[in-house]
Amino acid sequence: MSDLTDQELIEELKKRFDQNKKSLAEVQKLNEELKEVNKKLEESESLKSHFISNITNEIINPFSSIQGLAESIMSMKEPEWERVKSLVSMIYYEAFHLDFQLRNIFVAARLEAGEIFPEIMHVEVDKLLESVVDTFQYEKEKRGITIDYRFDIHQEGDHPFYFKTDAEKLKLIISNLLSNAIKFSYEGGTVVMRCWMEDEKLHILVKDYGTGISRENQEVIFDRFRKLDSGINSIYRGHGLGLSINKALIDLLKGDIDIQTQEEKGTAFTVTIPENDSEIGDVAFDDNEMFFGDGDMPEEGKEETF
Amino acid sequence: MNQENSHFLYPAALYVSPKPGFIHTILGSCVAVCLYDPVRQMGGMAHYMLPLWNGEGLASPKYGNIAIERLIQKMESYGSQRSQMKAKLFGGGEVIQTQTDYFYIGRRNINTAYELLGDYRIPVVGSSTGGKYGRKIIFDTYSGKVRQRYVRRMDVP
Repeated sequence: MSDLTDQELIEELKKRFDQNKKSLAEVQKLNEELKEVNKKLEESESLKSHFISNITNEIINPFSSIQGLAESIMSMKEPEWERVKSLVSMIYYEAFHLDFQLRNIFVAARLEAGEIFPEIMHVEVDKLLESVVDTFQYEKEKRGITIDYRFDIHQEGDHPFYFKTDAEKLKLIISNLLSNAIKFSYEGGTVVMRCWMEDEKLHILVKDYGTGISRENQEVIFDRFRKLDSGINSIYRGHGLGLSINKALIDLLKGDIDIQTQEEKGTAFTVTIPENDSEIGDVAFDDNEMFFGDGDMPEEGKEETF
Repeated sequence: MNQENSHFLYPAALYVSPKPGFIHTILGSCVAVCLYDPVRQMGGMAHYMLPLWNGEGLASPKYGNIAIERLIQKMESYGSQRSQMKAKLFGGGEVIQTQTDYFYIGRRNINTAYELLGDYRIPVVGSSTGGKYGRKIIFDTYSGKVRQRYVRRMDVP
């Protein structure tokens, strides 16, 4: 140390000073992040209580409607088919909603309990997407919305396109996107849905020309219970779980979700999912070839017990 | 290995086996917490990806603080006493990712496990953490033993 010249000493001191400054900046940054997280957790808690009051509207109200509608059919003196038909379609609409909401709530509960896993099978994607579109038949007619669905993967009559993934989860993901797209479209609008393969991944686009999402709101749409318009007079039904469920399910399928949106212009969600190539439901433990290469592995290939 | 009583644990999930069985999983920067109750000879495992839930998305066991709490609760729901539980920790490797924020994710995951298990007063009686490789583990929920092999693949969770 005694050999240090003044110049070197100054430089060393300067260096250490800079390092200190840097760590200070890092600590400050961490502090800011902590504050942010704290705020989010508080919000999440209040959203949760909001959710419970919201759920009353979402579950009790449809039930009352179903009961009321059924009662009016029962109390008819003589059958008036046209009226019965319209009442039954309203019952169907309410029941469909209820079923959709409950499905989401149960999946969210299973996700939060860590009790959900992919159930992989060969899925006929075109059929699956068509069936999802069909379930929104009544909903889209009510708002005069056209769903423009096209399957852009070549398939010949007897050879439909199959993809290894989880059918039920994919169905819920697309249902949530389609439900939002219809909900946030302007009356008489169009919802575009496309499906294609790119880089060996399944791509599904759901696009609307509706209200769009502002920049600041784009950061929170995947948070649970978050409804962008959560006022008591909200014209949009729903529980604010759909996109947070989608995010978790897409994670589970090792996929991605991309959002392109502009206020008053509309929103486009693209879901990308790789084919699940693992053996169905399981991974064999002894397939060394797949996991062990040559090179300096620690205790190569050796099994240890703890 | 008895295939019938074997459960593959996916990331962000947890599993408690009240009957003797095997739980297996693959880890990169993720951490697996194995809890074992030597009195009841039963165990469970949680596999989480990030240390703490920050209010984003669902409050799922993708996050260490939620995963560990739920795992303990699940063990308790099968009659296990917290004071009898012992923990073993695996994973938390430095799997290289592009975003620098996530660079120390493995280490942060591990630290979270030690801190939280300390808070719950559950002793960590065995571990294999850190390093540059992924791991495959099998947890025998009857004996509490965990077998481990290193794996080369880097895209493990």
